Amino acid sequence: MSALSRVGPDLVPAARRVLLKRGPLLLFGALLLYLSVASSAFLSTANLLSSLTQAAPIAIVAFGLAVVVRGGGDDVVAGGIDLSIPASAALATAVISDQLANQGAGVLRALILATAAAVLVGAINVLLVTVIGLTSILSTLAMYATVVGVVRVYTANRRITVDDPTMLFVRDARPLGIPMPVWVMFAAAVAFWLLLHRSAFGMRLQAVGGNQEAAATSGIRPRPYIAASFLIAGVAAATAAVVLVARGSGSSPGIDERLLVDMVLATFVGSAFSRRNVVTVPGVMLGAILVALMSNGLILIRVDNSWIDGFKGVLILIVVAAAALQNRRRA
Amino acid sequence: MAQPSSGREPVLEMTNISKAFPGVQALDDAGLSIRQGEVHGLVGENGAGKSTIIKILAGVYHRDAGRIVVDGSALDEVTSRAVHEHGVRFVHQELHLVPHMTVAESVFMGHELSRAGLIRRREMRRRAETFLSERLGADLDGETLIRDLGSAERKLIQIARALVDEGARLVVFDEPTAPLAAGEIERVFSAVDRLREHGVASLYVSHYLAEITRLCDRVTVFRNGTDVGSLADLDEQDHREMIRLMVGRELGQLFPDRRPERGEVVLATSGLGDGATFSDVDLEVRRGEIVGVAGLLGSGREELIDSLAGLRRSRSGHVELGGQRARVRSPADALDRGMALVPRDRRNDGLVLAMSATDNINLATLPDVARHGWILRDAADQRARRMVERLDIRPQAVERPAQLFSGGNQQKLVLARWLVAAADVLLFDEPTVGVDIGAKAEIYELMTEMADRGAGLLVASNDAAELLGVCDRVVVLVRGRIVATVRRDEVGIDELIALVTGSEEAPADGGTGAGGSPATDVEEEAR
Amino acid sequence: MSATDRADGVKPGAWVAKYAFVAAFAGLFAFFALRTTTFLSASNLMNVLEGSMILLFVALAMTLVVSSGGIDLSVGIALDFGAWFVLIAMLEYDLAWPLAVIAGLLGGAVVGGLNAFLIVGLGVTPFLATLGTFFIGRSAQQIGTGGGGNVSFRGAPEGFQSLAGGAALGIPHELIIGAVVLAAFYVVLQRSTHGTRIHAMGLQDPAARVAGLRTRRYRTLVYVLSGATAAIGGILLSSSLRLYTPQAGFAYLLDAIAAVFIGASMHPRSRPNVLGTLVGVLFLGVVGNGLDLLGLDFNLKAALRGGILVVALALAFLVSRRGSAASASGD
Repeated sequence: MSALSRVGPDLVPAARRVLLKRGPLLLFGALLLYLSVASSAFLSTANLLSSLTQAAPIAIVAFGLAVVVRGGGDDVVAGGIDLSIPASAALATAVISDQLANQGAGVLRALILATAAAVLVGAINVLLVTVIGLTSILSTLAMYATVVGVVRVYTANRRITVDDPTMLFVRDARPLGIPMPVWVMFAAAVAFWLLLHRSAFGMRLQAVGGNQEAAATSGIRPRPYIAASFLIAGVAAATAAVVLVARGSGSSPGIDERLLVDMVLATFVGSAFSRRNVVTVPGVMLGAILVALMSNGLILIRVDNSWIDGFKGVLILIVVAAAALQNRRRA
Repeated sequence: MAQPSSGREPVLEMTNISKAFPGVQALDDAGLSIRQGEVHGLVGENGAGKSTIIKILAGVYHRDAGRIVVDGSALDEVTSRAVHEHGVRFVHQELHLVPHMTVAESVFMGHELSRAGLIRRREMRRRAETFLSERLGADLDGETLIRDLGSAERKLIQIARALVDEGARLVVFDEPTAPLAAGEIERVFSAVDRLREHGVASLYVSHYLAEITRLCDRVTVFRNGTDVGSLADLDEQDHREMIRLMVGRELGQLFPDRRPERGEVVLATSGLGDGATFSDVDLEVRRGEIVGVAGLLGSGREELIDSLAGLRRSRSGHVELGGQRARVRSPADALDRGMALVPRDRRNDGLVLAMSATDNINLATLPDVARHGWILRDAADQRARRMVERLDIRPQAVERPAQLFSGGNQQKLVLARWLVAAADVLLFDEPTVGVDIGAKAEIYELMTEMADRGAGLLVASNDAAELLGVCDRVVVLVRGRIVATVRRDEVGIDELIALVTGSEEAPADGGTGAGGSPATDVEEEAR
Repeated sequence: MSATDRADGVKPGAWVAKYAFVAAFAGLFAFFALRTTTFLSASNLMNVLEGSMILLFVALAMTLVVSSGGIDLSVGIALDFGAWFVLIAMLEYDLAWPLAVIAGLLGGAVVGGLNAFLIVGLGVTPFLATLGTFFIGRSAQQIGTGGGGNVSFRGAPEGFQSLAGGAALGIPHELIIGAVVLAAFYVVLQRSTHGTRIHAMGLQDPAARVAGLRTRRYRTLVYVLSGATAAIGGILLSSSLRLYTPQAGFAYLLDAIAAVFIGASMHPRSRPNVLGTLVGVLFLGVVGNGLDLLGLDFNLKAALRGGILVVALALAFLVSRRGSAASASGD
């Protein structure tokens, strides 16, 4: 049939190709193996569950980022990225804590207000990106700074302690032995997976992000999809805030920064695990869990705190460099 | 409209369409009428208004005046949704696909099959595969990623996307074969033929007159923003008339006369290969000589040019430039040795589109118009202006960004850059793709002039007529190896195509007239 | 440039949009002049200029990188390394201060060199490469300072202190250095063969390559130079404070990006450019200074600053959107 098909693919030795393709995973595997040998506590159920609990907020905000990246294309400078999600999460955390602790509000009201706040941040991003035409990295970075400032004013940069029973329940309950935050993560994963990978919306969002003109000529107007992606990211931030409030029994200053680092790390490490080398929900979750496991493991073997950032930096570079070299090979 | 009595109603009737852009009257009282089930050609030079009228039909631009009737109902406001509902579909020139999406996802892009908001992946895959195989004759796996497909298959996916919902009454093909090789083009042709069998009309826009006569029942010619004539019952005798209508005068010769005077060897390769797509390539280009490279997509033709230019690594053999071994690892290395590339993808690789004509012309030789690194703007402008005049580049506005020039004029900007750089060896890859017929003749003239002044040219092309028209010799690549070298006066176009497709691979339906002499009959490469 | 954008006509609000940013700048200026007694005083305006110098260096570095089609999230790290190395060279290696300054510049260049290796050598995208460098550089500072303590050098040589503190003919040295570097950047980036090549590469890398430009070499140079330029800011910071605080540079990242984009919005073709960046830097300097003079709470100031930045970017980009709409004509 296709006698005219192109001459065979690159004849790179299979081993090298596998190493590049699976390198990041192998690297993580080796690191985890080392950690489990070096620290007997590493593979304990308690540690694994605590790692998963730590991964939960990271994964949830990273799901939000995944939606934006899908809709904007994976060229981070020109395409889609939302760096303001962690700030929105911090804002939502503050709103929930303030409502529950100081305003005497019920959980429902607190959650609604928090979601509204986070979605409002998303809406301003929409305005800046789709109406005014700023690149998303610039506008969401500026929004990050603004929202962090607003949170500081709002909380006077102080801790707000929450002892609401619902939040304590989310913190302490362990259905089937698994902590509630992990369940929330799993539920969010399923929801985002359906949305991104199994819904018509997700397909179209991917088309918009992959090639705006292709989408437009297929009758898909790009703007509403890009707008929706930022709003959904706001919802993800509010969801993460629930876990953050529960886990920390309230809001404390500075959660945004750590979350920013881990969110970006989880998202881009995660894309190295997908067949198409793009951001996917399972990849993101895997990325978040690996990042949390690694942080925990390094602390367990008493690596100084100062080194952990460096480890993360090296890790992200190895993963993305492997992906880049693999792409170069294909080209 | 006086129509021959065909009894068939027009599926599309556009009359008195006008459209102005700032400074340009793109369309001026233009008309276009397409009958049900016919294949209707649309030809014209760049800037004649073909794209504008199509974009008006697609709802991208809004007309200033005129009437549009689709399938009997007049459309006041043309939106992409409205024309879609009336059964008009578009197959755009660009490959509008997302590399990391699957075949099935791409076919159903924009009209995904879903139930309760969730897509039906299996159903989409099955229907995409069935449609591609039954209607377009392409057996593809619905889960294959687009980035793993060749350009012909990608084009078929695009066609499938336009047709898969079965509501098509008229399909607009905008230069559908531009990225395809000779053998692959047939697959698009047969797709169009099948549409006609199903009673779906096609509007077929192309620069290639041979395609128009091969496919179309009628053709409308545009010039200067209006329709200047229609022809029916087409055959090759009509080419002259079409060209006359397009350019508004008798076109002289398309290809210039050549009296090649060959000097010393300026480019030679021996045993060149990249370990994958081509191997054992021995080539020689002399001063004053124009050598062609013919080959299908996938024959190694593009890769050969890219490796010579330094855009791709070669793994075996070597290259000599001006008699000396040269390691060319980047276009900059090539330029240091006097060799330059006129790339096939002009808009991506040829020009920095957002930069001015001046900057593009001087880009490779900036030190010539600078003192101690400080650019002398007057000198730069003057030099650009001289080139613009000499090559008759229009408009003659050197400060205009390159993206605002037409295809032919953009190509001349690239040529101007290498003229001021005084390149000794020029590699041309598809020198006239997307260039209208008037500018084509000028570009051939320029190429000939470059050779006459002592440069050596290596020209890779899909277009057999072009290779035989402009080259002194043509080497034929099949599956990465040179199988023959022919002189321009030795073979005809049919024979060259037969050589290129390889005798055992000549297209079975013979649409391009296969059946030339087998490769062994032709003189083996001398020396 | 998408096919569906309304390609015809110029919008009536264009004229308003064109001057929106300028008007906002003027309005803010007038507001500060009216609300505070000191804003318009000569000494305060001098303060604005001097206070903008460090950002100027970081923003120039960013201008260079953005012109080349990339982004540098590690400029803050380069600044830190400059600030750190110059003090360490004097404190621990007893180098003469001019040599120490060179050591500081090298510190920044090393950061840029790592970026260049990742981007040019391995093909990692600039965003992720410089993000990785950012993490590693942050960790390196933590480790090097034993957990993030300051390095102080009260008894720094006179000559070194006068870099930031001294003056010649009544003009502060800092301003003179700023003017010289600004002029050099202007000449190189806007008027020289190198600048044209860097812009060509930034606009369309493949076309620049085919035109025979040595893009790998230029890109390497761009990142190294970016690091060294940001380090100048760090050296001046150390000179004026006689103190190095780890991770002080992070504060300049967002402002630098914003200054570049505000500047780009003023260019007829929306390109990053040196004079535009200067305007952006001065704008941010005026905002910071004015908010200081209003005597607001620290947290509120941060929030306001972010908000003003978002609005300024939005206004500035209303201008450039208008410019890019004029490109669709003919076929």
